Amino acid sequence: MTRIRPRAHVAAHLICIAFACGFAQAHGYVGDRFFPPTISTDDPFAVDELALPTLSYVKNGPSEDGPGNHEFGAGFEFDKEIFPHFALGVSETYFVQKLDHGDSVKGWDNLTLTAKYEVWHSLPHEAIMAVGLEAEIGGTGSKSVGRSPYTTLSPTFFYGKGFGDLPDRFGAVRPFAITGTIAQTFPIGGDDPNTLEWGIAVEYSLSYLQQRVRDIGLPAPFKDMTPLVEFAMSTGENRSERGLTTGTINPGVLWDTRQFQLGVEANIPVNSRSGSHVGVTLQMWIFIDDLFPKVFGHPIFGGDR
Amino acid sequence: MSRILRFILMCSIVMITSGAQIVSAHAMPDHCEPRVGSTVDKPPAEVRIWFNEKIESAFSGIEVFGADGKQIDKKDSHVDAKENRLLIVSVGTLAPGTYRVAWHVVSVDTHKTSGDFKFTVKPQ
Repeated sequence: MTRIRPRAHVAAHLICIAFACGFAQAHGYVGDRFFPPTISTDDPFAVDELALPTLSYVKNGPSEDGPGNHEFGAGFEFDKEIFPHFALGVSETYFVQKLDHGDSVKGWDNLTLTAKYEVWHSLPHEAIMAVGLEAEIGGTGSKSVGRSPYTTLSPTFFYGKGFGDLPDRFGAVRPFAITGTIAQTFPIGGDDPNTLEWGIAVEYSLSYLQQRVRDIGLPAPFKDMTPLVEFAMSTGENRSERGLTTGTINPGVLWDTRQFQLGVEANIPVNSRSGSHVGVTLQMWIFIDDLFPKVFGHPIFGGDR
Repeated sequence: MSRILRFILMCSIVMITSGAQIVSAHAMPDHCEPRVGSTVDKPPAEVRIWFNEKIESAFSGIEVFGADGKQIDKKDSHVDAKENRLLIVSVGTLAPGTYRVAWHVVSVDTHKTSGDFKFTVKPQ
């Protein structure tokens, strides 16, 4: 058996790191800024991601569509980078609605497929823009939980911006970042209205504060948390919902570890059309690119990002 | 519902526990000396940064700059021989003023990260 000399072994290791393997850059980074995956609005990154599970609960009041109910949801989202900066994704949720007066109804949401491409980054300014297309496939969900038989396509613009490039005198503001989406829906068939879907997440990274601005001595797990508020809104453009806006304001907190991120948000309806009760969503993002670097964390085709 | 929920939760647990043996991640500072954004009475002889991951010495380093933008460290940044999460650079006798510390590291699983912070040496 051939013995490899230690020095040659070290050199081979370094060469592998520098050239063969490339330097990895994975989920949610633009330059030095980490943008954590958010719960109520989609983030602008076309990377390998797995949200498993996403659990939700809300009490729905009675409406013209039916009696009041307690609605539970359990779902997932999986995204895979196919080419550098281009990813495809799939998400699905199973719902159970316990009616106030009667039995429970249960069933799947419509399957949602997404394609996303990161079109622009500015590393020093911690900024990113992406475009994508979301397709909610009609008829794949259950009529019992009110899912539409018609497909809806939604071209989407994604953005993210960190404020770490502000001057030092704005030190306390530098941990802030925003991400968000603007999407135009096009229902194919049926009488669903076109809507403008718009969302924004305002987040404050305590780890950015500790590592880049001022170490205020936060202990674990608080030093790895990101308090945030998300606004997930929808404005009708025609038919019966022209000019009507619905949505939720979602304050919460994200906690990042090396393997996963755990997040929880309250879902507060912005008006009576959006709901009558506060809901809650719990979500875990599993960092599959870090957990399984041989399989995830790089595109299938086209080399590393 | 309960069966599907149990299945999803079980998948989550399996993913986490099976990955725990092969986990790797981005190296980020755990803490620093001098502390990030601090004002110190006594000038430090070294700048030390402890990371939350093991780092590659050949691709990791610290540079320290004075208020005029000139590099003032001894250009001897290195990973500690006993503690491979600790990156160190020597600095000369620092005059009172504000200094910027820029770091860049590659974790042993090749993830590249960088960042900077400032500290101030108080006038005597």
